[in-house]
Amino acid sequence: MEVVDARVILAPTVSFLCAALVFATGRSVFWRRFWTFLAATIKMGLVLSMLPGTLRGVVYTYQFVEFTPGIGIGFRADAYGMFFSLVSSTLWVLTTIYAIGYMQGDKDRVRFFGFFALCVSTTVGVSFAENLLTFFLFYETLTICTYPLVVHAETPEALRAGRIYLTYTLIGGGFALVGAIMTLNVAGTLTLAHPGILSGDAGFGTLLVIFLCLIIGFGVKAGIMPLHGWLPIAMVAPTPVSALLHAVAVVKVGAFGVTRVIYNVFGVELLQQLGFATPLAWLAAFTILAGSTIALTQDHLKRRLAYSTISQLSYIVLGAALLTPLAATAAIIHVANQAFAKITMFFVVGAITKTTGKKYVSELDGIGARMPWSMAAFTIAALSFVGVPLFAGFITKWYLALGALQADAWWFVLVMIVSSLLNAGYWFPIIHRAYFRTAQEPWPPPPPGRRLETHKTLLIPILICAAYVLLLGVTAEVPGMPFSVAQVAVERAFGLPGVTP
Amino acid sequence: MTVPWVEALPWTVVLPLVGAALTPAVAARRPRVAGYWAWGVLLVTTALASGLVVELALRGPFSYALGGWAAPYGIELRFDHFSAWVLPLAALFVVIVPFSWRYLDHVMPAGRLPAFYALLLLNCGGMIGFCVTGDLFNLFVFTEVVALSSYALVAVGGRGLAAYAALKYLFIGAVSSLLMLFAVAQLFVMTGSLNMADVAARLAELGPGVPVMVAFAALAVSFMVKAAMFPVHVWLPDAHAIAPSPVSAVLSGMVVKIGIVGMLRVYQIYYGAGVLELGPFNQALVWLGAISIVMGAFFAVFQDDIKLMLAYSTISNIGYIVLGLGLASPYAVIGASVHVFNHALIKATLFLAAGAIIHQTGYRTLSDLRGVARSMPQTAAAMAVGAVSIVGLPPTAGFVCKWFIALGAFEANQAPFGFALVFGALFIFIYYIRMVNAFYFQQPVHAAVAEARDVPLSMRGPIVLLATLCLILGVLGGIPLSFVEPAVLDLLPAWGP
Amino acid sequence: MLLFGLDLDYVAVIVLFCVGLYMLVAKSNLLKKLLGLNVMETAVFAFIVTAGMIEGGDPPIMVEGTSAPFASPIPHAMVLTGIVVAVSVTAVALALIVQIHAHFGTIEVDELKELP
Repeated sequence: MEVVDARVILAPTVSFLCAALVFATGRSVFWRRFWTFLAATIKMGLVLSMLPGTLRGVVYTYQFVEFTPGIGIGFRADAYGMFFSLVSSTLWVLTTIYAIGYMQGDKDRVRFFGFFALCVSTTVGVSFAENLLTFFLFYETLTICTYPLVVHAETPEALRAGRIYLTYTLIGGGFALVGAIMTLNVAGTLTLAHPGILSGDAGFGTLLVIFLCLIIGFGVKAGIMPLHGWLPIAMVAPTPVSALLHAVAVVKVGAFGVTRVIYNVFGVELLQQLGFATPLAWLAAFTILAGSTIALTQDHLKRRLAYSTISQLSYIVLGAALLTPLAATAAIIHVANQAFAKITMFFVVGAITKTTGKKYVSELDGIGARMPWSMAAFTIAALSFVGVPLFAGFITKWYLALGALQADAWWFVLVMIVSSLLNAGYWFPIIHRAYFRTAQEPWPPPPPGRRLETHKTLLIPILICAAYVLLLGVTAEVPGMPFSVAQVAVERAFGLPGVTP
Repeated sequence: MTVPWVEALPWTVVLPLVGAALTPAVAARRPRVAGYWAWGVLLVTTALASGLVVELALRGPFSYALGGWAAPYGIELRFDHFSAWVLPLAALFVVIVPFSWRYLDHVMPAGRLPAFYALLLLNCGGMIGFCVTGDLFNLFVFTEVVALSSYALVAVGGRGLAAYAALKYLFIGAVSSLLMLFAVAQLFVMTGSLNMADVAARLAELGPGVPVMVAFAALAVSFMVKAAMFPVHVWLPDAHAIAPSPVSAVLSGMVVKIGIVGMLRVYQIYYGAGVLELGPFNQALVWLGAISIVMGAFFAVFQDDIKLMLAYSTISNIGYIVLGLGLASPYAVIGASVHVFNHALIKATLFLAAGAIIHQTGYRTLSDLRGVARSMPQTAAAMAVGAVSIVGLPPTAGFVCKWFIALGAFEANQAPFGFALVFGALFIFIYYIRMVNAFYFQQPVHAAVAEARDVPLSMRGPIVLLATLCLILGVLGGIPLSFVEPAVLDLLPAWGP
Repeated sequence: MLLFGLDLDYVAVIVLFCVGLYMLVAKSNLLKKLLGLNVMETAVFAFIVTAGMIEGGDPPIMVEGTSAPFASPIPHAMVLTGIVVAVSVTAVALALIVQIHAHFGTIEVDELKELP
């Protein structure tokens, strides 16, 4: 049942305000940190307060403004949107702590944290979008707000990376815009509240163009090959940016968009009729395997993580493209699993670089002795990606396999097995080097007076995220955990019945 | 007490004109007073205009017969939904004039200030008159008032080069005005009346014929020249780039829109009369608009001088509006009409911000202005907001109109133009990203740039205000849209919602 | 009298307009261009006055000795206003030409193009 509730619109807008305050008062370190924190925590608080209702099946809505009848800016927090905003707002709090520590002594921190807060708002705005216009509005605003963060270092390569990033994302945005307009023209509405607003009457050709435009548009950010080119290049950004934006916010927004298109614009039935989802599933499978294969060859740590992200995102796309309830559950739950695990890894890599200055896999011999807790967290995340039971990633793979079987597409199970092996192939060497090789030159110990292996603001988020990865894997069935939200999402938001296996 | 706003209608026209005439007298002793006088006159005009718009919103369109002579024999002033443009017009002048108080110090000697402000008031009065008149010949007269003051405004700030640009503008503008006079005379000869509504009715009785088409063609060409549409756009870049920045803002934002409003009036007559098959003409407009978009963006990208780039960008945006008009579907025309307003706002932001930067640093080209964002943060931020707006990215004002025009393209089954519109806008982003990068992320090369301070409040205030409005109207864009919607639906009876 | 299916008056107007247009476009001296513009304007005024003529009509003044049909007075008003406008345009153009001459020393378009 739908309830009008201002919290849906307060969640994104409160942090807009905080961002403005960061810009205005940011010269003072205290106020800058205060507003940034406030933005993150208020948002998380608002989202959490809506969680009980969501589990009961309540949907919170708020119509903001109407341009003309039927076209306007509206907000709607259904279970899927709630899931996404929960993940991003939780991770935001953690990344804020991490960023404050990481960026100490860096320049232009007012600009950094100001746009950081703006990105928070836009991501939640995307997750709570009631229609494609609102979705697109926040989607493009996210692009603009992430640009100053990507080029933060202001070096020529950072500027080049920023240009490439913008080229990809804006052209993708153009396709998404055209797709949205064509949808409006054909369907007469843009709402994302139903399991599908398009119908077969529009004609195969038109529907194909709409599908291609929307998928290309959102697929750029979701890293579907061959639209993934910007992701590895954008790794030149500071690690907190790479961690949150390119492991969680920007890329997940793209994947979120792809799933919304599949489930709420086209709908499962129409796609099954048209058969568009099968090529998409194959493309996702290709991306999974190709991304992992390229990751094997990367020595630069962040690039290896980038290609792994590309590969992992397509799990979500694959899950959605399979069009079955179990696969949908896998897709949604992987939004959380991949986010937490990947962010753990990025945090660790950033901590390593900050503490020892090393950026390449080949330089990491014996670092397990110098930074045991960080590498433990890294190992947990790696095991999750490989899909070892009791870790979060296993849940995803299990449901995805079941979903593939439910769709009579057993060959995708093979794809996942191969992918797990590839994941092991590029994570385990890092762990092996870290623990089982002795360092070429001894690692400098922490400066006197420091007991921890690295700064506590870097270490605490690492540990919390790693713990969460374990938690997600172990307690999946416990009510109140993200998994149950995902189930509600699949049943209510997508109109797919009967998810429990 | 209810104010009879109908009586205020002629005053909105008369006030700026009389104010213009009085300016030299008012400023005889101290020339700077001219600026404050002009601002005062414009404030009162804006207040009157807002009253008129409120009256329009409450009670619908209304008329006023000049001198008590009733239409169709007398001159009728008619305030309908398209005339509501006078409110944002006057309001933009009110924002731009404070900017010129300080800006003109380095552009012209103080002795010329009264002349400048008198011309500005004439320009404003002429445009207001253009928008509220219901008489064809009156339309011609006001067109000329606007045109003459524009020619003079281009030249008033400079020496030989500005005069030459103004002269080229004058020659092309005078020819287009002649065409308009010819068309008005032709229509009078055919119908015996000069009142627009009356002409429409009598044309309907007359039926189709070559003279009707000739008059339409002359009017259309005349307004297209004024609107700087391809291929008759050649006068615009030099004139807008050489003029002082407040004048560029007025010219790019408002004077070119005279052509668009004129075209809307012509449409009102001819759609109402129904004697001409406008389909082929509209299709030609669509093509020319699309070419304007692409060509304007293409040339803009290769400019190093900021103001020249902004001038070419104006041509590109006029292309959007013309494209929307030509598509002739409700959403497209609504989007085009609102873009008249949004583009004026965005262009004013950009030209004023550029003017402030040029004023403080003395440099006009992108390569010279690197790193200016550190010295002039607020102005550079406003320029960045304007850049995002003009490309049409959310959440700014430019996005809403582009959305509607593109929607109209699909509505009218002209999908390729929808694609061209969306991707054409992205092309011009190449320049703006170079600009943002140069301003923000590169080191200054000139001492003047590194040591510049941000402009004083009388200049900064308007810039920041306009930039904020660009952002706000992105979200609240529905207000102008729903305002224009009834007028457009009246205009296009064949296409319902 | 009919020539090419049109009254001789209208043909003359068209010829005059074309002459003016030629002067505006083809001459390189700015003053001559301005004169061409004036000729064009005169052509349009002539068109208006001619169009308002009625065969055998009286001047539109209500005094002794005049009776219907009257020639329409509105074209006369239009032309008068048009002449005022044309004079203003010419005045502004002349001021601009003086300015150009003072600054560049020439009013030939060919020479103006050569200047940096």
